[in-house]
Amino acid sequence: MNPVARMVMLNLRTVAPYRNQGLAAFVVMALLFVNRPVVLVPTLVLLFTTTIAAYPFNVGDKASLQTLYATLPLARRAVLFGHYAWALACYLGTVITGTVVALLLAWLQSVPFGGRTIATVLSLSWGMFAVNVAVQFPLFIRYGYTRINLLSTVLPLAFVATLVIRLHLSLASVHSWLPWTWPVGAALIVASAAASGALDRRRRQPTTTAGVNRLSRQVSA
Amino acid sequence: MSDVAFALRGVNAAVTRDFALRDVSFELPSGYVMGLIGANGAGKTTAIRCLLGMRAVNGGEIELLGHPVPGPVALRQEVGVVLDHTYLVGDWRLAQVERALRPFYERWDGDRYRGLLDEFGLDMRAKVKDLSRGMAIKLMIAVALSHHARLMVFDEPTSGLDPVARDELVGIIGDFLLDARHSVLFSTHITTDLDRVGDYLTLIHGGRVVRTGTKDDILDAYRIVRAGPDDLNHLVGIELIGVRRTPTVTQALVRTDEADLLAADVLVEPPTLEEIAVHIGAPAGRRKETV
Repeated sequence: MNPVARMVMLNLRTVAPYRNQGLAAFVVMALLFVNRPVVLVPTLVLLFTTTIAAYPFNVGDKASLQTLYATLPLARRAVLFGHYAWALACYLGTVITGTVVALLLAWLQSVPFGGRTIATVLSLSWGMFAVNVAVQFPLFIRYGYTRINLLSTVLPLAFVATLVIRLHLSLASVHSWLPWTWPVGAALIVASAAASGALDRRRRQPTTTAGVNRLSRQVSA
Repeated sequence: MSDVAFALRGVNAAVTRDFALRDVSFELPSGYVMGLIGANGAGKTTAIRCLLGMRAVNGGEIELLGHPVPGPVALRQEVGVVLDHTYLVGDWRLAQVERALRPFYERWDGDRYRGLLDEFGLDMRAKVKDLSRGMAIKLMIAVALSHHARLMVFDEPTSGLDPVARDELVGIIGDFLLDARHSVLFSTHITTDLDRVGDYLTLIHGGRVVRTGTKDDILDAYRIVRAGPDDLNHLVGIELIGVRRTPTVTQALVRTDEADLLAADVLVEPPTLEEIAVHIGAPAGRRKETV
């Protein structure tokens, strides 16, 4: 198993003890969506995905997992990429599940839910997921989950709102810009991973040598 | 390959605006135990974090098991780390701890892990967050010993442990050292822990190494002097370290070669490790007096 895959597995193990709470939250959310249009099911799943993807940061803050990562035979790069790979795995897992459930419900309710609708929902969900991860993860890595949690929830929404306004995106023209969510989302995630690496290096840098020099002068004096 | 388990040479590391490691140098030959002694905030944990590559340094060289630090990630296969706090998911059961960590270690020994937990009286079904401090430290030791590390690094493992648990820990270190290639770095402010197992000592204070060497050399290097309240006031060329004055007695640590200059009525005795640590770690205001 390569180091990034090992890190993904570690994230899975990190969130595993909380699966029952997660399922309970999922059931509550599902009940809220009863009798709502089937098309909203993948949206529900997306909400869930972003929470699971970020959960290792939440648990990591409480359990000092940064120290664990630093003692394991695991390169820092693998830790960072592992978080992104974990998020993508969460997205794939939940989006497939959500789509299958939506298809099933549509079939049971005899509601039309086919190719074009699925493509639209998946493209939108990917775009939202990518923005969320791209904005949140560097902040979590630089500042920690607890310190930045509220801001990291608001920023992706602000980012999307800004995009919609600045680029004049509207539902009427959705099919012209929707295909772009895939490459743009992927590019955002790649850029975010690079930013995370840079921020992480900065976080791990020692305080400037000025501190050592000043203290040495004080001792000499 | 170097026969040095680890070495720090002239290491500088700024931690905050007010604290830094400054020109820190000490080393341990393979097969021995080094005690890193200092008061809280002396720089022990920072030195350990630098040694393990967990903190970048501003200058100096660090060598760990024959490799420069930062070195290859695989080097961490050889190092077991026990810090003064657990760094595992609180809701993991001890069986899950093994499942989570095993994939990272080439030489993970599941039988040894389960055997150690059994020996330490730890239940595989227990959750990490439910363990007492002593049990949590034992868990971390079990993890560190289960991947056949060559160097064990303990950072304040005994603070908060009862005497029985501390004695057990010393026994565990003794067992670990039965293999001549194994080495231990043990930071503590409880010096009695090192009376039995410490071969080398490094005294650290205010981010600087005050003295490093074998335990016997360090014990020989200092003397405790006790005299009347004013008897140590008129001496020349003698540095009194960590002077403690009461209405009836003045006590200080001095270098052994300077102790010969003291008058005959001054009581001069070999110090214990604790006395050395207490006087060297005394607050700056009364740490040194040259009279």
